[in-house]
Amino acid sequence: MPLSFLDDFRRGDHVRALMNRLEKSAAALERPVRIMEVCGTHTMAISRHGIRQALPPNLKLISGPGCPVCVTANSDIDTFIEMALLPGVIATTFGDMLRVPGTRMGLAEARGRGARVQIVYSTLDALRLARENPESKIIFFGIGFETTAPTIAAAIAEASSSGLDNFLVLSAHKTVPRALTALCSTPELAVDAFLCPGHVTAMIGPHAYDAVVADYGLPCVIAGFEPADILQSLIMLCGQLAVGRAEVALQYTRGVRPDGNPTAMALLHQVFSPCDAEWRGLGVIPGSGLAIRDEFAAHDAARHFQVDAGYSHEPRGCLCGAILTGLKTPGECGLFGKACTPDHPVGPCMVSSEGTCAAYYLYETNDVL
Amino acid sequence: MCLAIPAKIVSIDNQRATVEVGGLTREASVVLLPDAGLGDYVLMHAGFAISLVDEDEALETIRLFEQLAGGSFLGEGPSETGLDGLSPGGTGLDGLSPAE
Repeated sequence: MPLSFLDDFRRGDHVRALMNRLEKSAAALERPVRIMEVCGTHTMAISRHGIRQALPPNLKLISGPGCPVCVTANSDIDTFIEMALLPGVIATTFGDMLRVPGTRMGLAEARGRGARVQIVYSTLDALRLARENPESKIIFFGIGFETTAPTIAAAIAEASSSGLDNFLVLSAHKTVPRALTALCSTPELAVDAFLCPGHVTAMIGPHAYDAVVADYGLPCVIAGFEPADILQSLIMLCGQLAVGRAEVALQYTRGVRPDGNPTAMALLHQVFSPCDAEWRGLGVIPGSGLAIRDEFAAHDAARHFQVDAGYSHEPRGCLCGAILTGLKTPGECGLFGKACTPDHPVGPCMVSSEGTCAAYYLYETNDVL
Repeated sequence: MCLAIPAKIVSIDNQRATVEVGGLTREASVVLLPDAGLGDYVLMHAGFAISLVDEDEALETIRLFEQLAGGSFLGEGPSETGLDGLSPGGTGLDGLSPAE
């Protein structure tokens, strides 16, 4: 199977036929519906391919809290920056985090003040740094959902088994199903269905959304990331909404197994245990974070470095919190495209390659400004 | 950040593999996907293989698209979603006749 099969998920005739089918499905709905695309990678794909604008008028796609960098609370960012400024520390992070402004400064500015901040593509790179710099403490900023958390768990487990004591992680990981049920409890949100993240679900498995369906009666379809995937998923959601049923259904069959990835989830649970976590925009959600277990305490930066980052708060005028919860759109933010642009971001949603504001700014500016 | 891209495993040794995507090769860990083998297509995320790409499922989905685009969809396609067999509307593409 050559990888060019991906082209078939972007082919014009396929996309046109699916769009025609979606129009028929939407026409069967009794009232306008709001569907939240949870995942930031979906937000970017939907914006890049112009799907939001092409939808039938009674279908509205709302962007959700699925950008890991964006939902990271400023308190966690400020703590990591304080750690990065400590002597003998090399702070490692995924690239998007570098330019996210904290309360007093961002990591890029901390680097200007002498902090050693290294962008890594993978925890494998951070482990290599730890081996090559035995005199330094390598702190990795653990952000991301269940797609990413098992890769961090793997690194902690490897550091533990190989005695690499100078590799530490500040865990600010978050889990998706908890956020969805928290969102469902937000009365003003008024979402009718969820377009669920394909790669998070490749790990946690489709049944992780059973509570959303059982407790809130909202259809969930797990979608791939190509235009045809997204359109087919919307057709599947419309099919459920039209007959008033709610189930978890899987469109992304090529990437997601019915039981997810049990090996990855076992490793995640071996290294992490659930904890309360603060989300930007959503506040503290009980049990939605991942704390490093006692057995791996030697690799827990939060226990090793007792830093006081002071009082953390959001940038003035920034609506990232409301945008992450689907309550506002970027165009409703007074800073969007004016004081806040990808070159001079005020909030994280404008920084991240998966941020809602960045996606709208790059691809949908004509519709929101 | 939950971006994952399909790549082909071109060599594998214990938990370390070399994967190829777009003509480039790079190191990957298969510790999260112990069943992965030489020649498999996997989804790569942050240096780790996280899931096998199921070729049969990919081709099946494409076949549905082709039938839909070609107007030859007879509404008798599989309603399997891979999740307990059935969901309302299945693939969402059932029930569409060429006359529609």
